Amino acid sequence: MASDSDIHLYTAQTPNGIKISILLEELGLPYQTTKLEFSKSTQKEPWFLEINPNGRIPAITDKFTDGKPIRLFESGSIMQYLVARYDKDHKFSFPPGSREFLEMNNWLFFMNAGVGPMQGQANHFTRYAPEHIEYGVNRYQNETRRLYGVLDKHLADTKAEYLVGNKCTIADISHWGWVSAAGWAGVNLDDFPHLKKWEERMWARPALKKGANVPDPYKLKELLQDKEKMDRHAAEARNWVQQGMKEDAEKNAARSK
Amino acid sequence: MANLLQKITGGLKAEKPIKLYGHGGGPNPWKVEVILRELGLPFDRQIMDFADLKKEPFESINPNGRVPAIEDPNTGMKLWESGAIIEYLLETYDSSNSLSYTSGAEKWEQKCWLHFQMSGQGPYFGQRAWFTLYHSEKNLTSCLDRYGNEIRRVISVIDAHLKSTGREYLVGDKCTYADLSFATWHWLLTSPPNIMGEGFAKEWEENYPLAWKWNERMQARAAVKEARDERTKVISGK
Ligand SMILES: N[C@@H](CCC(=O)N[C@@H](CS)C(=O)NCC(=O)O)C(=O)O
Ligand SMILES: N[C@@H](CCC(=O)N[C@@H](CS)C(=O)NCC(=O)O)C(=O)O
Repeated sequence: MASDSDIHLYTAQTPNGIKISILLEELGLPYQTTKLEFSKSTQKEPWFLEINPNGRIPAITDKFTDGKPIRLFESGSIMQYLVARYDKDHKFSFPPGSREFLEMNNWLFFMNAGVGPMQGQANHFTRYAPEHIEYGVNRYQNETRRLYGVLDKHLADTKAEYLVGNKCTIADISHWGWVSAAGWAGVNLDDFPHLKKWEERMWARPALKKGANVPDPYKLKELLQDKEKMDRHAAEARNWVQQGMKEDAEKNAARSK
Repeated sequence: MANLLQKITGGLKAEKPIKLYGHGGGPNPWKVEVILRELGLPFDRQIMDFADLKKEPFESINPNGRVPAIEDPNTGMKLWESGAIIEYLLETYDSSNSLSYTSGAEKWEQKCWLHFQMSGQGPYFGQRAWFTLYHSEKNLTSCLDRYGNEIRRVISVIDAHLKSTGREYLVGDKCTYADLSFATWHWLLTSPPNIMGEGFAKEWEENYPLAWKWNERMQARAAVKEARDERTKVISGK
């Protein structure tokens, strides 16, 4: 029951962040949003570490069924929580224990342990790394392509519109932000025709569009058309990414003294 | 339908052995074996050649061509991705909730940590292993440092969490599957191939003492020890 909930989303305009706002929009749930400023390292401030000890977005807080506050971090568990609690009609999920439920979970973990981290590394070596390391660029772009190949083949083999059970579930929603950002990682979606059609199908969903525009307007599709803008955007991100790397390295070194 | 309901309440009995597809070196299949042993479930381990993973018949079990994967003759289910397998095993067979909380906020807190392990520990420890074991000749120092720092960061997140809660385990006051999911990757840090170098155990113990003790507690469990011994046997070909 939505009235007994009090969902607060901590997020930023990134592939992992928009997973959650998209799901919330698809479920039609009310929520408040706080945007975290990576350029100011807000995600590492103590108040936020109480919500996510890992210092990353997305995270949510909610009023739990016992009336007390609950915090959740990691996009995967947040999505599992939201459908378990609020998707009683199984519009974006399946009944727990059913074959489709388990299959959906396979793909959710495939995203969070495979596509996300590997495409994230491809982004790093392609866009943010302090020095150009050809080996790193190739390794992670190739792995991202391999993973896209698995998705593409699965969609082709099952002739289905979505990953599991022919409806849009959290397995699909979790993938969309990453797949739609393929170009940013240097991967061409045209090489994966079934996945590309799936991406277009997802993008045509009004709630997905709405959720993708949280907390800032979703501009990636335009950005990917404009090389100059892409470079400028990468340069801005490079600053905080490298700053974060430096701070982590210094923290480790300080402990070892 | 009866089957389904039993599964939801975790009351199913595994009459027939669960087939676990694994590999000697990689820690992910052993993570599942630890849980199977903890729950006392019958299983058959099949060690796979990496060369056989990315083709049929294995691709019909795991389209991603990786281990672990399981086939459970008791339910007719095939699953892949260690995190999804672990959730399935717990939800299907942990009738006494020995390794999990099944309600309350703890139920969800567990899942947060499992997902952190799956997306935050496994992939990054794996990258460090790759650059250490297969690409040391290329001397890709900045890659080694990148993933080495991430390993330290992951351990420091756990250390800080244990410090702030004052508890011995990640969730509540017992060892759950969330803790155990981290255990097998730690083998690569504290014994050969020592992907962080031989001095790292000492650095870990000194710099992240609560996370160190937490790991020691897990490694002392019979199921973790047995799985580790089995792995040593598989690797040495005995
Ligand atoms: N496995 C996590 C990954 C979260 C993650 O990496 N978030 C990024 C943005 S997409 C972040 O917060 N980065 C900030 C930082 O690294 O300091 C999840 O799925 O929630
Ligand atoms: N996210 C997956 C990762 C599985 C994985 O990477 N397994 C490795 C062994 S630890 C593998 O099968 N490698 C074979 C290959 O890359 O071809 C999981 O946790 O199950």
